[in-house]
Amino acid sequence: MKKHYALICLILLLAVLANAQSTKLSGEFWSRWTMEQSRNAATGDDEILKNYLALERGYLGLETVLSDDVKARFTIDLFSSDAVADGAGIKLKYAYVDFANLLPVADMNFTAGLQKVYFGSIYDWDYSLIGKAPADEYKLANSADYGLSINGYLPSGLGSYALGIYNGEGYKKFGSALKDNTNFAYSGNLRLTPLPGLSLGASLLMNSVEREHLLSDDSINSKYQEQMLADAMIKAVFGPVDVMVEYLYKDIKHSQTLEAEDYSASGIMIFPTLNLSRFIGYDVQVLGRYDIWDESERSDSSKYKLQAITGGINYNFMHDEQGTSKMNLQLNLTNKSYNEDDSATPYADGAKDQLQIMAQLKWRFSNTIN
Amino acid sequence: MRKYLIILLTLSMMLPLVAQTITCSGSTTVLPIAQATAEAFMDKYPQINISVRGGGSGVGIAALQNGTVDIANSSRKIKSKEISAARARGIDPRGYAVANDGIVMIVHASNKLKELSSQQIRDIYTGKIKNWSQLGGENLPIVIISRDVASGTFEVFNEKALKNAKVDASAQMLASNNAVVSTVTNTPGAIGYAGLGYVNNDVKVLVVDGVMPSVTTVQEGSYPFSRKLYMYTNGKANGNIAGYIGFIQGPQGQKIVEDNGFIRLD
Repeated sequence: MKKHYALICLILLLAVLANAQSTKLSGEFWSRWTMEQSRNAATGDDEILKNYLALERGYLGLETVLSDDVKARFTIDLFSSDAVADGAGIKLKYAYVDFANLLPVADMNFTAGLQKVYFGSIYDWDYSLIGKAPADEYKLANSADYGLSINGYLPSGLGSYALGIYNGEGYKKFGSALKDNTNFAYSGNLRLTPLPGLSLGASLLMNSVEREHLLSDDSINSKYQEQMLADAMIKAVFGPVDVMVEYLYKDIKHSQTLEAEDYSASGIMIFPTLNLSRFIGYDVQVLGRYDIWDESERSDSSKYKLQAITGGINYNFMHDEQGTSKMNLQLNLTNKSYNEDDSATPYADGAKDQLQIMAQLKWRFSNTIN
Repeated sequence: MRKYLIILLTLSMMLPLVAQTITCSGSTTVLPIAQATAEAFMDKYPQINISVRGGGSGVGIAALQNGTVDIANSSRKIKSKEISAARARGIDPRGYAVANDGIVMIVHASNKLKELSSQQIRDIYTGKIKNWSQLGGENLPIVIISRDVASGTFEVFNEKALKNAKVDASAQMLASNNAVVSTVTNTPGAIGYAGLGYVNNDVKVLVVDGVMPSVTTVQEGSYPFSRKLYMYTNGKANGNIAGYIGFIQGPQGQKIVEDNGFIRLD
């Protein structure tokens, strides 16, 4: 059966390539060393519990221009995993079609398929630090989902906007893990650049988990949640320095009889970067990141309040003619600590505190093949 | 203290003597203008070095966004998406028109046809119309002559005439405007296109959508395959960059624009 699927995919791919005006093949891969010191649950001592090399992740994508107004994109997410028999996994990350000029609004696209979810800084995040954007890190929103969206640019480069309807389940779930959820998720995202070097942004995402308040036998569905997620960010660039500040908020409501479990959580990230290229002649960045994420209002054993500090240095090299580096060497040191008073018992006495060092070689390529 | 002030003053007086480099990259169409004007400007101001590279308009604009060039050469206007991305990085793109350009449709001198519509041109170049008799001409197969896909002239023609449709596989893709004019001159069924400045009396120039290409119709923008060529800088150009762009827009620079087969701004 797998052979048939592979054959069908190959035929579809060749058909698309044959009709495409141009097709771009691109890839991005992360080769990473991770060392992590945290509390050994058995001995109670702080020990190095992780120390390994891995090709953590890779993206392989095809972008085809089918006509002046229609562009299709297909990206697969490759990852190492010992949870699967072959030691590696593959997931579909994006598979969407962009239609320009479908609506009589300049610079507006209509997008259908498995696509980006524009929430928070997820798609402003260029991974100059190895860690994820806060909305992704604290699992507020999925970075991609099946849906329909309109997105575009404001005149005179004043910013961009996106409005979308999605499944609300993300791109990783499949089969039995895909919840029986008949409610869609709705999102809105606005970015403004009122002045060169100043970006302001806000996002809103309304989502739900599970299908109904009640299960089929009319008992309360304890897993049902209504989520309201919001984000505001500001980014300022002053010569070699840029600073991003992001605020995130989530409000969770459960089924009526479980109102006591309703909670809200919020967090803030401050992310300064110093670009040294104009001083030393090499494309080197020094970065810092401070995060606070407060989920202490929860009534269950999952409640916690996290503080994380990251310091990093990047050496970006092999620049193309656009000045974009094709390779990045990154070193990050992260310290995560949980506030004992505001966290549940499993976090007590620094039991889940963590010191992590990661070094990564990231490389990417992009070629137009016809 | 006085010693340091004297050293500082001496160094500041020497600054104008230090060679300054202006970097520009981008459109291959603008490339000959940038190269020729850069040479003339450097002859006039030997302390200034201008480095010019091609790559295409998108490459030049991306390099400006990344802060790796002073000037992005572009054969099209910058897009809202590109301005937005640049502003988010603290770059404020400002455009300066440096020349006008018109792509002229030419056929063999013996061809009786006088005019084509944009749609007919698209149909010829995509292989839908294969014989001049389909357009009221002689019963003669059409020989399609085009520029190679790397050229800026092809880029304009592809955008304005073909609307990015694929050129028929039978087309001869030639490397220069002169080669196109020469081939059309010597091939009775041929149709080609070239910059207005390259066309001579050995070929027949066609009216497109009712407009005859001329310096006037290109300058006023009524000819359908006309456009302006731009240079983009980060913020309002100043210092030597303003000097260089002012030189191109001035009488000496515009003469070079004409010498390179393009049309002056006014």
